Amino acid sequence: MATRDGTIGGRRPGEDPAAAVVTTAALRSGRLAEWFDRQARTLFIMPAVVMILIFSIFPLIATFILSLSRVRLRGGGYTMRYVGARNYEKQIFGSEQWHFLGTFEEVSVLGWVVTAAGAGLLAWWLVKYLRGRSGRVSVVGTIGRLITASVLFGLTFMFAATLFSGTRLGTLGVTLFYVVVGCGIQFLIGLGLAVLCAQPIRGRTFFRVVFFLPMMVTPIGIGFTFRMMADTGKGPFAPIWQWIGLGDFAWAVNPWTARAFIIVGDSWQWIPFIFVVLLAALENVPRDLVEAGHVDGAGGWQIFREITWPQIVPVAATVMLIRVIEGFKLVDLPNMMTGGGPGIATESMTLHSFFAWRALDPAQSAAISYLLLFVTVVLCVSYFMLVVRKRAAVHG
Amino acid sequence: MAEIPAPTPAPLPARARARGLRRWFEPARIGQMSRGGSIVVYGLLVLWSAFVLFPFYWLAITSLKLPVDVFDGPSFLPWVDFTPNLHAWADLLDFSAKSPLAETLTPYRNSVIIAFCSTALCVLIGAMAAYALARIEYKPRLGNILVFVVLMVVTAVAVGVYGVDLWIAAAVGGALFVLLARSVGRYFKRSVGNADILFWMISQRILPPVVAVVPIYMMFQKVGMLDTHLAIILTYTVVNLPIVVWLMHDFFASIPIDLEESAQLDGASRLMTFFEIVVPLARAGLAATTLLVLILSWNEYLVALFLSTTQAQTLPILVAGMNGGEKGILWWTMAVVIIIMIIPVIAMALLLQRFISKGILLGAVKG
Amino acid sequence: MSEAGTMADDGAAIGGGRAHSRARRLSIEGLNKWFGSNHVVKDLSISVEPSEFLVLLGPSGCGKTTALRIIAGLEQADSGQVLLGDTDVTNELPKYRDIAMVFQSYALYPHKTVAENIGFPLKVRGLKPDERAEAVRDAAAQVHMEELLERYPRQLSGGQRQRVALARAIVRRPSAFLMDEPLSNLDAKLRGYMRAELKHMQHELGVTTVYVTHDQVEAMTLAHRVAIMDEGALQQIGTPREVYDNPANLFVAGFMGSPPMNFIRGSIENGRFESGGGVGVPLEGEGVGGGTAAVMGFRPEDAEVADPGTGLFDTTVYAAELTGDVTLVTVALGGDTSLAIKMPKEYDVDFDRNVAVRFPLERGFLFDAASGERLSARFAVPPGAA
Repeated sequence: MATRDGTIGGRRPGEDPAAAVVTTAALRSGRLAEWFDRQARTLFIMPAVVMILIFSIFPLIATFILSLSRVRLRGGGYTMRYVGARNYEKQIFGSEQWHFLGTFEEVSVLGWVVTAAGAGLLAWWLVKYLRGRSGRVSVVGTIGRLITASVLFGLTFMFAATLFSGTRLGTLGVTLFYVVVGCGIQFLIGLGLAVLCAQPIRGRTFFRVVFFLPMMVTPIGIGFTFRMMADTGKGPFAPIWQWIGLGDFAWAVNPWTARAFIIVGDSWQWIPFIFVVLLAALENVPRDLVEAGHVDGAGGWQIFREITWPQIVPVAATVMLIRVIEGFKLVDLPNMMTGGGPGIATESMTLHSFFAWRALDPAQSAAISYLLLFVTVVLCVSYFMLVVRKRAAVHG
Repeated sequence: MAEIPAPTPAPLPARARARGLRRWFEPARIGQMSRGGSIVVYGLLVLWSAFVLFPFYWLAITSLKLPVDVFDGPSFLPWVDFTPNLHAWADLLDFSAKSPLAETLTPYRNSVIIAFCSTALCVLIGAMAAYALARIEYKPRLGNILVFVVLMVVTAVAVGVYGVDLWIAAAVGGALFVLLARSVGRYFKRSVGNADILFWMISQRILPPVVAVVPIYMMFQKVGMLDTHLAIILTYTVVNLPIVVWLMHDFFASIPIDLEESAQLDGASRLMTFFEIVVPLARAGLAATTLLVLILSWNEYLVALFLSTTQAQTLPILVAGMNGGEKGILWWTMAVVIIIMIIPVIAMALLLQRFISKGILLGAVKG
Repeated sequence: MSEAGTMADDGAAIGGGRAHSRARRLSIEGLNKWFGSNHVVKDLSISVEPSEFLVLLGPSGCGKTTALRIIAGLEQADSGQVLLGDTDVTNELPKYRDIAMVFQSYALYPHKTVAENIGFPLKVRGLKPDERAEAVRDAAAQVHMEELLERYPRQLSGGQRQRVALARAIVRRPSAFLMDEPLSNLDAKLRGYMRAELKHMQHELGVTTVYVTHDQVEAMTLAHRVAIMDEGALQQIGTPREVYDNPANLFVAGFMGSPPMNFIRGSIENGRFESGGGVGVPLEGEGVGGGTAAVMGFRPEDAEVADPGTGLFDTTVYAAELTGDVTLVTVALGGDTSLAIKMPKEYDVDFDRNVAVRFPLERGFLFDAASGERLSARFAVPPGAA
């Protein structure tokens, strides 16, 4: 305040005490402002906390209660009755098992081999940890790894009993397929494009702007556009399809082409995100290090493998965490492109939950969404603790 | 220092020069590309550009086609393959007729209102929380948090299962919390810190929206706010809050604290410090975060699907609803709607893409 | 050295260092480099003898680092040549040049341990792990880092990082070392220590070394020869003593020494150097004709402060500071000239006191004010004066 008239710099000690009084008085003027300042601690953070509590934590609890109930809609209202874990039972063991986990029949030889291999790998991983070679063994760490391992084993068995036994996948398997295969492809292509754009090329700005564009487009629009383009009769590639004799072929009829089709759309949208972040990370690698590599005698591939890649690994791990978290929420593309079909072949869990809601069964919908939450949290937290944290620790 | 061991005179062979095919992929000097390398690099870049741009092109020309042009099989070049026609666009601008596109305007307005309001609210609330977490130390007691969660469960059960009125239950719960917090807090003295609160806020993003949206639907139904702008605005705000907190926390933490301390010595209040010193300094980060949140709210589908029916319907819902119907899909009409839907976002993206990548990177590196 | 013959292929080792069998002459000829319209290296030619320690000295932005990076192959010169021994390496990639470099930031790979950092040049050349380990141990021993091989760079102090960077350079036994201000990130005390160590190590290894710095003390203490650059052009090259005692121009004279040489602006009139403030000194030698603007220079340590009337000119004391080993007296001459004089540390004087300044005239320098070149004319020493 005192600086406003420029007196404070030139004033000698003791001179003009009146000015000091005036400035302090000026500060006291707003009662409200003063109250606000004293409450600033609370006022700054409370809106966010309250919003999250009301719209995130409360619904979380409510959904859980809902998932343990049977809900009857009648008239304008509804009635709820506690039924325990019946809804979950129905999804995992009961009449909805085919929809959620997939069709379980005889497990094939390949299925057993995959199960055994998965179990062996997980056991080896646990034993390695418990022997304490790679660091301290803690109770929390052990419990966490046990949870991770059991969930992974359950998922392995599910895939063994469906995918590797020739029966249909459920929505859990489809969701995981989108997350693992989709995000994997997106990461590889995104990284490749980032490396290309980090080369000394002309028109770098053009390429990076163009590559960035799909991220902006609404997934609904992408779904529609790709449906239009994939049409083997009227789409732009129709001549090619006819030429190779697939003129009457429809993507959405075969489960695997339908899923691939959705992954193509999803990748078109999400590769830009990975590309943009990894490119920025590549450009952030200190130039010194790369030059030191050149002087030390490393070639292009050696520099990438030994210097650049280790530098961007923490960013890559984080960007994949974000991508995987969003990947579990995939719903718009399957709904728009295939409507979940053929059958349930492209139905993600969010879509499954939405269909249950639309079928006026909010309790089943809640149970499915909670199962999705469980899988998402276990896998994402495991990934965060075991990959992202560890990478961050190495780089300190 | 004669005891230093003399170097073993084992001269390293200089690296052998690349031969054969590899010679094509070796640049002449640092900062250049090899001949073979540049062919591969530009080839791939152009290929991917085509993959990215072609859908946009196809949308654009489809919007200019007559139904007959679409159904006759693919045609690529306007004026060459087919005669461009503005019929789909004319429908949009024809306010009088009961055209399929006249009803686009309401969702468009809804989308604008919802996206902008929720972004503003979200960035304001989120930035304030992020700043507080970067600068003020919080120590909520673990005991109080436990009491709060238990009371919340009880309230939810009371409302959901026993049909107690939401407002009464909330009031009783709140009162109980105030009463219990002091006494319980005395026994569980362990507290959580800023990092835990930050993690808690950011981790909300893991929550799939479908988990929360049914109770939110029921909540809004109870208070009669279904199918209103406010309902969707509030929900979007919470859905995107983690992103704002996450990105802005790092921006705020990277601002030198000296500036704020000096402002406070000059007599500025916390709020003044925040708006006069901190916000201007974090402008770039705020711009990036705002844009990101705006895009996410503009494109959101699932929440709007649950919470809106007619009055508050947004553009994605409109587009999804045009999928099918008795006349089949009106490709040209949909192309027009999608184009007018993505144009604003693309324009902003072109302006601000640099900020976005920086913003995300900062978060990714530090988070 | 008994096997003196091994080093003789490119010429004699300089400075009495132990000869290095792979030490080679490093020369640059007519180097030019433009960044856009900015001519950062102007026609630079320097030849570094085998085993010589050459320091490239100059203020920041004078093009010395660019010159070094051209030698390393990290930048491409617009014209000119880089020769290593008899080989023209101007158009080689850095990895094919037999040159190691220490960066200002050390450029240690943060994700690699000390051992992996040092062993990296060997790894990319395809040496087997056990051969590598042995060479790494040797190199680490040379910089006293054997104990810390498993640490990561972030766990090391500045001085230790510096040693790792050195070890990474010497492990390859290159034909030449390049160092880009390697000591500038260390604190003053450590810098002095590392300087001695660096000099010893270069002597021990006898590798041709080009060292870039803006610190003239480093240049004086380390170099066999100093090359001083300004605005992209070479100003003078010579041993530290030559450059200090015999500066070729105003820039070199003003750059070397701390505090730098005192300058008094004036002109040459009728065989005398005349300046405002009552300075007038007779000259002898060529070019003492009239009317040339000139600058008189003398070193602070050559001059002394005396009673008024007994020196070259009278003036007043502006400030006196005890720096430890000397008292630095600043006097004002006219409006815009201030002169520094080093006096013994016991010397004490009040501010604003009237004093005279004097220095032995044979230690004075005379420069052309317009071109900055040293003039061949000298101050006439009156007979009988010291």
